[in-house]
Amino acid sequence: MISPRTLRNLRSELSRSLLAKLGIAILAVILFTAVFAPLLAPHDPTEQDLDNANVPPLGFTATENQTSSQMVDGEVQIVEEEVVVNTTTAHPLGTDSLGRDVLSRTMFGARTSLLVGLFGTSIAVVLGVTVGITAGYYGGRIDDALMRFADVMLAFPSLVLAIALIGLWGQASLRIPDPLVAFGIASAEMPENIVLPGTVIAVVALVNWVWFARVARGEALSVRDQEYVKAARSMGGSDLHVILRHVLPNSLTPILVLATIQIAAIILLESSLSFLGFSGAQLSWGFDIAQGRQYLSSSWWIATVPGLAIVGAVVGINLIGDWLRDALDPDIEGQGGAP
Amino acid sequence: MALGRFLLKRGIQGVLVVWGVVTAVFLLRFITPGDPVTFVAPLDASAELRAQIAAELGLDQPLYVQYADYIVGLLQGDMGYSYLRGTEASTIVLARVPATVELAVAATVVAVVIAIPLGVISATRRRDPADYGATLFSLVGISTPNFWLGIMLILVLSVQLDIFPTSRRPIGFFETFAFLVTVENGFAAPMNVGAFLDGLRTWLWHIALPAVTLGTYFTALVTRLTRSGMIEELGQPYVRAARAKGLPESLIQYKHALQNTLIPIVTVLGLQLGTLIGGAVITEAVFAWPGLGTLVIDSINVRDWPLIQGSLIVIGTGFVLINIFVDALYAYLNPRVVH
Repeated sequence: MISPRTLRNLRSELSRSLLAKLGIAILAVILFTAVFAPLLAPHDPTEQDLDNANVPPLGFTATENQTSSQMVDGEVQIVEEEVVVNTTTAHPLGTDSLGRDVLSRTMFGARTSLLVGLFGTSIAVVLGVTVGITAGYYGGRIDDALMRFADVMLAFPSLVLAIALIGLWGQASLRIPDPLVAFGIASAEMPENIVLPGTVIAVVALVNWVWFARVARGEALSVRDQEYVKAARSMGGSDLHVILRHVLPNSLTPILVLATIQIAAIILLESSLSFLGFSGAQLSWGFDIAQGRQYLSSSWWIATVPGLAIVGAVVGINLIGDWLRDALDPDIEGQGGAP
Repeated sequence: MALGRFLLKRGIQGVLVVWGVVTAVFLLRFITPGDPVTFVAPLDASAELRAQIAAELGLDQPLYVQYADYIVGLLQGDMGYSYLRGTEASTIVLARVPATVELAVAATVVAVVIAIPLGVISATRRRDPADYGATLFSLVGISTPNFWLGIMLILVLSVQLDIFPTSRRPIGFFETFAFLVTVENGFAAPMNVGAFLDGLRTWLWHIALPAVTLGTYFTALVTRLTRSGMIEELGQPYVRAARAKGLPESLIQYKHALQNTLIPIVTVLGLQLGTLIGGAVITEAVFAWPGLGTLVIDSINVRDWPLIQGSLIVIGTGFVLINIFVDALYAYLNPRVVH
């Protein structure tokens, strides 16, 4: 499936490209953080501490208006004063309006983004490749019907379609027990479940499979009439055998490159949906940005930190996508995109 | 004429796609849980009242009758009445179109004006600080979620520096021209140039941040495409021939090489139109911009079906129209596709 030549191309491109190394490094850090979040995070990301709300990150200061009733000359008066909110080493990146630790929330948020990206893309790949190869291999009316359907799907901006489907179908969440907590490796105070926006995963797969279908169809079409495929068929190979043994392996390279780019696009789509409040995710970068937006003038860090995390993750994945594309040189045009 | 036939063919395909979108949008209501009557009727409505409301909305008819009625209505410009506001859905939807079109056009202008010179400079001065700067910008630009970029622009340029307003659209672009052509008592009043310029300034000040927010992704993408396309073109034999002939370098770069680079740029931009429209939706949400995007989100939240359907159809149709325009532009730039 992966030939020695492919591996050699990947390696030589990697040794030449500084950006590819940077991409791998960034993604490795984010992946490590996501996997071991319960061990690395200083706090439970959902734990509220109203006495320590809106604490700025280390090295910054913030003031807050506080009103209190005080005795002035024997009379009770309402006094408004500016109070300096002190930073604390317990919250290196500060806290949000409910006193939740921004660093811990950002670390846990990585899990939502990466898992939605991974699951969403996997479903889209399976769906798209199945449809695309069927259409390309059999051709004729099946091909026409499937591709016209794909055109109608593409005639709709994916974010708008996703908003419509999730807004109308409601939000279902997917709970996976966190193995680190379940096996007692991480503190039992950490959340025991990883909660993922289930509807979002289904919907992003549903709006993105078409890209894979188009690429897989193109590959199937170009392979279908090759001599070795004809030979396999004339030797009595069943359609399924020919598809699995000959057509599918040929489609893998472009699908892999496309999948990398799509993970980045789906992470952006998930964060947009969470930001708009459609995903139902309570622990996600997009959701935290939406929360922080309300306190922009007093507590800028709440919206800033998770946004930087998104940019970092997507830059890392895009750099890896560039590396794969340059090394493997598949023939794909148009790449899905950011919302 | 070849171009005319080409456009006719694309037009017929476009009509079919729009029909598909209309059908999908119509069926969306029937695959969505929840009875529209619930959202219209009072909470304590009796069964008779509910039946009466359903009859008034035409919901008691069989599916194919409702579908036929809907198509006939649409052909006459009738999208039904908004459940909540009681006015014609088509009026509400069409009133939102200019805001979205202004935003999309402004973003495209931002992208083209910045990206093409930047890409050319980057390609002609390779490994120069300007090239590294442009490459870094385009990498971060395609990786930044635009809602977060919008919030950061608001944070720095509106909240901190107080240069631009944070949101809203007090006046439309074409509304400003009303100051130039006013009619009083049947006579044309003198042109109020001062008010016109004030209006134009207000418009520009309000659209600046949304346009940059929406345009950044495309600026980054086009910079990237221009750079790689120009590098390829400048290595072609015809460029060497032109240089040998003694043509000025600027003429070679901006006329010959750039013109050939535009073809792949237009192709990719066509494929990215969905991203532009999806991006407009979320940009509108960040800046409270009264366009189709905010209308879709608001009407989904209250299940106002005629508005949901109407705005989705207008978005889908707009998308198909721009696609045809892009195809025509492509055919103009690259006459080979017509033949």
